[in-house]
Amino acid sequence: MKNHLRALRDEQGWSQGELAERLDVSRQTVNALETGKYDPSLPLAFRIARLFGRRIEDVFIPDGP
Amino acid sequence: MKIGSPPMLALQAGAAVALGLLLPRLLPDRVPDVVVGLLFGLGIGLALAALMRWRLPPPCDTAPSELRRRYTREILLAMTAYAVAVFVSLFLLRRFELDAPLRALLALLPVPPIAFVMRAMVRYIRDVDEMQQRIELEAVSIGTALVCVAYMAGGFLQAAKVIDVPSASAMIWVFPFICAAYGVAKAIVVRRYQ
Repeated sequence: MKNHLRALRDEQGWSQGELAERLDVSRQTVNALETGKYDPSLPLAFRIARLFGRRIEDVFIPDGP
Repeated sequence: MKIGSPPMLALQAGAAVALGLLLPRLLPDRVPDVVVGLLFGLGIGLALAALMRWRLPPPCDTAPSELRRRYTREILLAMTAYAVAVFVSLFLLRRFELDAPLRALLALLPVPPIAFVMRAMVRYIRDVDEMQQRIELEAVSIGTALVCVAYMAGGFLQAAKVIDVPSASAMIWVFPFICAAYGVAKAIVVRRYQ
């Protein structure tokens, strides 16, 4: 699943480590999320969306139709 | 040389194997086979640990360092207790002729420390983040499946009288084999998330 996480993080001027700390996950998890290698659980997706003040569908782009 | 670094682990592995080779020659008939076996087992385990520490990149484990330290501490304590329990249990079982219930009690002495190893693993998996949990789940599933297939193959070979493995050894080695397969599987699974 693609997402706008890197762009949103850059907007805030946060490093991967800083975002990881705010989300209570590891830096490697943030990296895997940004590169689309890992799809977050629904609770984590909500935490991410809330952190950036967006809706989930504004952050994550689902695959397929 | 740092404790737990690959060269240090390799050195300890070499020392354990060397002791296993030398002790029976230095003290003929006074070193039980089980001690030699344990030393070789320890050597192989340490050599595997050295290889994994050397080859695996640190991102294989994304857990916070505090959590990893707690895990290492709990595993080391439990494994030390296990080694002591194995020695005490084997020594007493060989030394004294005991009734079945007491023999059972002594034979099961190493089980509680192993239960603590499993507790440490469960506590670790529960406290890592969700991506690491998925890595651990995939790794433990693949590792366990591999060992099950290997044991099934071994069982068929044994039934056909192609091999003859003592049943006690076969049963005791299930958990160590699963741990080793889990580690190897983890090194492969983690690459998908890097």
